[in-house]
Amino acid sequence: MPSLKDIKTQINSVGSTKKITSAMKMVAASKLRRSQEKAEAARPYSSRLEEMLASLASSASSGEGIIKLLTGTGNDQNYIVVPVSADRGLCGGFNSSINRETFKLVKSLEGDGKNVQIMPVGKKSRDFFNRVMKDQITESFVDLNISNTGYESALQVSNKLQELYFEGKFDKCILIFNKFKSAISQEVTQQQLIPLDVSDSSKEENVDDSAVKAIYDYEPDEETILKDLLPKNVSIQIFKVLLESDAGEHGARMAAMDNATRNAGEMIDSLTLKYNRTRQAFITKELIEIISGAESI
Amino acid sequence: MAKISFDLVSPENLIFNDEVGMIIVPGKDGDFGVLPGHSKVMSSLRPGRVMVYGEDKNLLKAFFVSGGFAEVNPEKCIVLAESVDEINTLEKSSIEKEVEELKDQETDAAKEQLSIAKAKIEALDSSFYEKI
Repeated sequence: MPSLKDIKTQINSVGSTKKITSAMKMVAASKLRRSQEKAEAARPYSSRLEEMLASLASSASSGEGIIKLLTGTGNDQNYIVVPVSADRGLCGGFNSSINRETFKLVKSLEGDGKNVQIMPVGKKSRDFFNRVMKDQITESFVDLNISNTGYESALQVSNKLQELYFEGKFDKCILIFNKFKSAISQEVTQQQLIPLDVSDSSKEENVDDSAVKAIYDYEPDEETILKDLLPKNVSIQIFKVLLESDAGEHGARMAAMDNATRNAGEMIDSLTLKYNRTRQAFITKELIEIISGAESI
Repeated sequence: MAKISFDLVSPENLIFNDEVGMIIVPGKDGDFGVLPGHSKVMSSLRPGRVMVYGEDKNLLKAFFVSGGFAEVNPEKCIVLAESVDEINTLEKSSIEKEVEELKDQETDAAKEQLSIAKAKIEALDSSFYEKI
């Protein structure tokens, strides 16, 4: 049976853990609000850009130069997979679900005989793939700190990707990230970034699309605009994903820390109960000793 | 007089969103003014000034954009810009310093930066469109 002192120490240590986790929860909650605001602020730009692209996409015909970002290289042999994780842990299944999903995707693509490279964003996925698939990592980005540096850091990733693409290093790029659904739930999402996948957004609008195209004047001309627009779109998509992932991370951490705090509270309750029982047992034992001692005289 | 709704959007946030009288936008092939009822145009932009005017053609705000896109229809004008500064927050001395630093660099990125910085100085010196 543990002594009273042992239980007391244990209660104290669980108590201080609880303090830490609840502090982390508060921090995550306030950071969440901030990064959620950022993610929302970025939305008008990216939705406008998508609209513009959708109405222009149909005019792309030849597969040369920058237009290749839209039309593809004509191959699908070489893939690059970009898992977007957090730089820090203690946020529940946030990072591990990204890593698991990426790992599964890489394996299944390899099963189909494709060449797959990995370009992890975030410390946690970099460390994971450094352990399991070191040779396939082309480049990694850590400490991007998107909520402070903003668009600049998204540009880094996007420029590197485009550089590799135009060198012919890969044909398709797939992003894997946590989509921010609400403060307590994130959804692991795959998104094909290059070549651009406009099918889902433009299909429904196809009817009025042609009408829009007929009316707009393009200056200087459609192709020039498209050439400017496509690289920007890649950057902005990455920016959006990074922001979503950042908000998701804080949400996940908040939920995880909330759980931890609650568990610590329960543990303290049960330990306190045990402490009181043990104390009572000691008192009873002492009483019995005194009484039996008195009787024997 | 009629008004046109104007949005100036950067990747990080919505910078300007209001009903205005007129906007002058630095299109790739030359500046163009947008009045209410303008025909539909999509244009890419060069680095330059976006000028926003009230109903009686008084200058409300002047921004510097480093490039981007504009979409215009009769009711609305949207400018998507990569980076936006309000003209009166720019400091000439610091931009000139930037130009000096970038002058001798050969990389494409530096050249692009240089042309943006030069356009900034031009925008600061120019007094076109201030009174209409």
